[in-house]
Amino acid sequence: MALTGLEIYKLLPQTNCKDCNYPTCLAFAMKLAAKQADLADCPHVSEEAKTKLAEASAPPIRLLELKGSEGEFQVGNETVLFRHEKTFFNRCGVFLRLQDSLSADELKEKVAEADAYHVDYVGIDLYLDGFAIEAASGDPKTFGAAVAAVAEKTKRPLILLAATPDLAKAGIEALDETRPLLYAADADNWEAMAQVAKEAGLPLTVRAETLDELADLTGKIKEAGVEDLALDPSLSGYLDSLHKLTSLRRLALKENFRPLGYPVITFPGSTESVDAAILAAEQIAKYGGLIVLDEFDPSTLYALLVLRENIYTNPQKPIQVQPGLYEINDPDENSPLMVTTNFSITYFSVANEVEGTGRPAWLLVADAEGMSVLTAWAAGKFDAERIAKDVKTFNVADKVPHHKIIIPGHVAVISGELEEELPDWEIMVGPREAVDIASYLKSMWTT
Amino acid sequence: MAVEIPKEKWTAQVRKVTIGATSEEGGTRAKTLTVGGESALPFLHYEGSFPNKPALAVEIRDRKPDDWSPLLLDALGETAEDPAKWAQAAEAMGADLIYLVLSAATADGNPNTPENVRAVVRKVLDATGLPIAVVGPGQAEIDNELIVPAAEEADGERVLLGVCEEKNYRTIVAAALAHNHLVQSKTPMDVNLSKQLVILINDMGLPLERIMMDPTTGALGYGIEYGYSVMERLRLAALTGDKMTQQPMIVDPGAEAWKVKESKVGEGVPEAWGDWNRRALNWETLTATTLIHSGANIVILRHPENVARVRKVIDDLSSATT
Amino acid sequence: MATHSVTFQPEDKTVDVPTGMLIAEAARQAGLEILQPCGGQGRCGRCAVIVEGAGVRRRSTIRLSSEDVEAGYALACQTVIEDDITVTIPEQERVERRIVTGRSVRKVELPFPYDPATMQPVRVSQLHLHPPSLDDNVDDLGRLKHGLSELGISDIELPLPLLRSLGDKLRQADWQPWIAFEMIGEEGSGRARLMEISAQAFDPLGLAIDIGTTTVTLYLVNLTSGEVLSSAAEYNGQIAFGEDVISRIVYATKGDGLHQLSARVRETIHELLTRVQKRTGIVQEHIFKVLVAGNTTMIHLFLGLPPETIRLTPYIPAANRVPPYSANELGIEAHPLASVECLPGVASYVGADITAGALSSGLVDSEDLTLFIDVGTNGEMVLGTRDWMVTCACSAGPAFEGAGVVDGMRATKGAIEEVWIHSDTHEPTYRVIGGGKPRGICGSGLISLMAELFVTGAIDRGGRVNLSLDTPRVRTGNHGPEFVVAWADETETGKDIVLTNVDVENLMRAKAAIYAGYHVLARSVGVGLEDIQQFLIGGSFGQYVNVEKAIQIGLLPDLPWDRFEFLGNTSVRGTYMALLSRQAHSRVDKVSQGMTYIELSADNTFFDAFTGALFMPHTDMSRFPSVAKIWQDGNGDEVQDEQK
Repeated sequence: MALTGLEIYKLLPQTNCKDCNYPTCLAFAMKLAAKQADLADCPHVSEEAKTKLAEASAPPIRLLELKGSEGEFQVGNETVLFRHEKTFFNRCGVFLRLQDSLSADELKEKVAEADAYHVDYVGIDLYLDGFAIEAASGDPKTFGAAVAAVAEKTKRPLILLAATPDLAKAGIEALDETRPLLYAADADNWEAMAQVAKEAGLPLTVRAETLDELADLTGKIKEAGVEDLALDPSLSGYLDSLHKLTSLRRLALKENFRPLGYPVITFPGSTESVDAAILAAEQIAKYGGLIVLDEFDPSTLYALLVLRENIYTNPQKPIQVQPGLYEINDPDENSPLMVTTNFSITYFSVANEVEGTGRPAWLLVADAEGMSVLTAWAAGKFDAERIAKDVKTFNVADKVPHHKIIIPGHVAVISGELEEELPDWEIMVGPREAVDIASYLKSMWTT
Repeated sequence: MAVEIPKEKWTAQVRKVTIGATSEEGGTRAKTLTVGGESALPFLHYEGSFPNKPALAVEIRDRKPDDWSPLLLDALGETAEDPAKWAQAAEAMGADLIYLVLSAATADGNPNTPENVRAVVRKVLDATGLPIAVVGPGQAEIDNELIVPAAEEADGERVLLGVCEEKNYRTIVAAALAHNHLVQSKTPMDVNLSKQLVILINDMGLPLERIMMDPTTGALGYGIEYGYSVMERLRLAALTGDKMTQQPMIVDPGAEAWKVKESKVGEGVPEAWGDWNRRALNWETLTATTLIHSGANIVILRHPENVARVRKVIDDLSSATT
Repeated sequence: MATHSVTFQPEDKTVDVPTGMLIAEAARQAGLEILQPCGGQGRCGRCAVIVEGAGVRRRSTIRLSSEDVEAGYALACQTVIEDDITVTIPEQERVERRIVTGRSVRKVELPFPYDPATMQPVRVSQLHLHPPSLDDNVDDLGRLKHGLSELGISDIELPLPLLRSLGDKLRQADWQPWIAFEMIGEEGSGRARLMEISAQAFDPLGLAIDIGTTTVTLYLVNLTSGEVLSSAAEYNGQIAFGEDVISRIVYATKGDGLHQLSARVRETIHELLTRVQKRTGIVQEHIFKVLVAGNTTMIHLFLGLPPETIRLTPYIPAANRVPPYSANELGIEAHPLASVECLPGVASYVGADITAGALSSGLVDSEDLTLFIDVGTNGEMVLGTRDWMVTCACSAGPAFEGAGVVDGMRATKGAIEEVWIHSDTHEPTYRVIGGGKPRGICGSGLISLMAELFVTGAIDRGGRVNLSLDTPRVRTGNHGPEFVVAWADETETGKDIVLTNVDVENLMRAKAAIYAGYHVLARSVGVGLEDIQQFLIGGSFGQYVNVEKAIQIGLLPDLPWDRFEFLGNTSVRGTYMALLSRQAHSRVDKVSQGMTYIELSADNTFFDAFTGALFMPHTDMSRFPSVAKIWQDGNGDEVQDEQK
């Protein structure tokens, strides 16, 4: 169990010496509890405390690291079941599966296209995390050549879907200076696969039909000297995936059950009669670790990568909306322009009120770091400078040639400064509360 | 090694809510829709019971909407011209609930009238045997003006009336009380606000069995994570015994997903967004299925194909055989 | 049906009544009136009577302690007669006293046994110097130093003006001068700073000043006896430039703003000083020590430090701990060489007022888990024990100080300090400080009024006035829906005293911020509110705060009442303690360095807790079981579900 700040504090020297660069021992202890500080920063901590704290902080889901010739990918270290408790830690991976039955040229072409895939989502660059190459041919040579072909076109991490030691070796040999994930050891081949993984120092996937068998296998493989593992619990469809992945996450987190405390690899396209996009989406939300897709389709991939970004955002960040110029009720060049902050509840209450008036209007949502009007103003995040900057950023002047801007009544005090920042604009002071917008517009906006 | 599957011991369950009334119950519906009653997190059949599957509502309008994506209007074709046909088409798609949204203005730009609302509600009730919801255009004064005649016209049908918001719920709740209907209680993505409005509505005398909770969601890419987490938190609170969070939840992925650029716009967007139609369909579906995993009891959809697509997922997830 | 004989005392009236009649009804039959402000709902406890004999059944004892019941107390509206009894109706005043929790802050007593010799660094002592002669030609200063050495002073600081007049003054005093000095430096170092040399004996005086955002409070203290000679409080003159610290900071950054604000607070202090000077007739030049507490912004403005960085991330003040300056430099009308010192703060939003409060509330000595809250314009709080403390601040607004509320006022004469509302007629009964006609409502009155409006259904759980009530008391006024507490003909001002919906919203925000603050603070160290053994509450609500009412509105958690203690202005009291004793002063220093500040804006847990608390008494009624019970009694079956 994780220790609370107070429990950790009792293990610290309690001298408030500030050598850790925190103002008090308790402040440092609370940062440790939140896993935002390192115990090593305290030069005075006792050995006993070190031992106790280390036990409490070992991650229940072991971190798995893959490396391509350039890219790196990490998954694991999750500490919560629900994203509102704390940020999901390492984004689950989205990989694309290719078969070695394709010719080298076909492979290169496909990899090149998928590797070049980048899409911008609110300033975040989204792309595939890597590729999985399947030894469908069953021939080590063919597989080795396919792996080499793929590696020629991508520098991202790879997964080698090679079910025999020979195939796996062939794949490994085709690569250098990388850290691919091997797939997979099962009840029949685990000894040999573990041997390969151990020799090559690579992580290994363990596959079984049931969680019982899976736990048996990971235990044995760990004993054989391979510690970096991924799990394939052989999923069949939406419900099986939900049940097994929920159980795995709960076992690791709530029971601290080490034999199953590893990231999970899934193949949503493998189950017939299942919509791969929907299953992949389920696994993004519900505990998937490495999600291997069979098709490269931007219209699906974009949606999935956005969903992953959403699910893995920090839930403690104030709920924000995207800053920008919003259209309400289809405004035109004569419609009023109001400005507010990008705190979601502020935005919603203003937008709903404006929408409720039935009048067309422009709403400039300024980037106030997700704070409400008063809080943002208090913290200097919603001042004349910021508003003027966003007026320019979002080309507001082009849309509203009347150059009148209505600011929230709560920040009436900035109207003078805003006049200086926006010299050719008329600054109007709107109501303090959103609920008064309708009557305000009725009386003040007559065009 | 025998791994013991961890199970949560929940102490409470989601409240059951029934929309629609058959002739025996004082209405004219061929069937009713009951949602809620589950006693565990979504689809974890091994630790609770799930007497009712999540349901699909299909949104229809009292007239052809001006601002819907052409993809939607193409898919709907001429059914969008007439609310009765639209309702029948929705029933054919596999809807469990007809979600009728009234417009603020008629096609010729005049304000919508109580008379027109009565006529439309009557038409829809006659056209389908499914239970219905009737909600206003979302402008307090107009909502109140239009929902009251709708409630009168559908007296006794146990219609879901909406939308109750913190600033405007009294008139709609009063109409629901007077004519034996239910209400949709909508709050902006906040656990406490959700509870508060349910309490205020309940304090007016409307039983909890007649309140659907709408915690609001954003579409994929537009705040879905907030809606998702608020719903998860509400559901966790419900299962641990917090009475005022035990209302079944209704959310509107259809409206949310179809108003974003990804669905609305086909040209001048990045190539990496992929095929417009497939993308738009994914947007609505993935928004809906993700919310179903966080506890939605009714999701409102728009596109006919997606009704079938989401239905299949719900059926698979609801089969306790695996 | 059996009848019983009931005798009422002290009137000595007897009536025969049937079994099962309420004592209140029996009293009416006897022609006596027992005041029932709550309308006989068993809520207010004002109808408590003393019953002799066991012939009654108490339906509810919700307002009575077990000792009360033991002593025979019963609520007339909740107690039925089952046998012959004698009932004593106590004087109303006595009943009131019994039900009010909290303690008077009217008279300031010595906080501890005062020994100036060991505690007080500022002293006035007489020296007996040998007059100089041709044989004894030591210079004046040398002579003075020699005399001082007999007081244990080995090293002195002598300001130049004093040196210039040294010779004259020693001679005027005929070499028997009275010296005012302050011991400085380490204890036992023998260092002193001389401030005055006089021919006459006098007691040194000191000022303890708390600069609140809304209210400034001043104690005039005799440093020889330790007693408070007089005290005074007034709204901070800076209010004209903004009600909260943020507005002041913003104002300070503009043009001459800082200078103006700094001057304003000095004017307020001057006004208070003049007031106590007139009352006591003291000589201002005898004031040799001024100790000031206040939140960090107020200290900045007082000293004339630019406060801008306080409000901007990462919220860094110019100084949490400042050295002493002279009264002359800071424009305080004390002895020009008197030292003016500000107590140390912790962070931008946890200032000297809190470190002083931690001292005076007793938190610094507490072995039990204790929460100290200072309810001011900013709600600051400290949770901990003598060994560790965490602290945070939240913006509550000035509502509980009576500001920002249409008919709000400070807790002075004419303020309504407690209100009861009849549950059927919604007619209020109120008590006014000083007993005359009301002029407005102070913090304690607002708490009591909110609670009463809520439990009688005049406002709903969201805080909205219920306009559908059948009483002219609810109406739509200039500021929207409102409740009339006093009609124009009952008031001093000749205008209605009202509580508007907007006022209720302000009060709700204030109480929600404070609840959320201590909720998050407790959570941050992993303790529950129920684990907290003592709630020590400072603030300027009024003379009394009724704990039960404060719980009903959700300002305080629903815990046994004996865990709460209202301490009035803890900041000025802590300043007073530090003014008296150097040991107390160094405790404050130590506390300020050991407190761990929690930044509430770092994540959204505070906001979440805040919206949860923005309801009456809280969104989660199960956290307030005692309120749920009362609320359930007054409302329909629908809500009963909620409390299960």
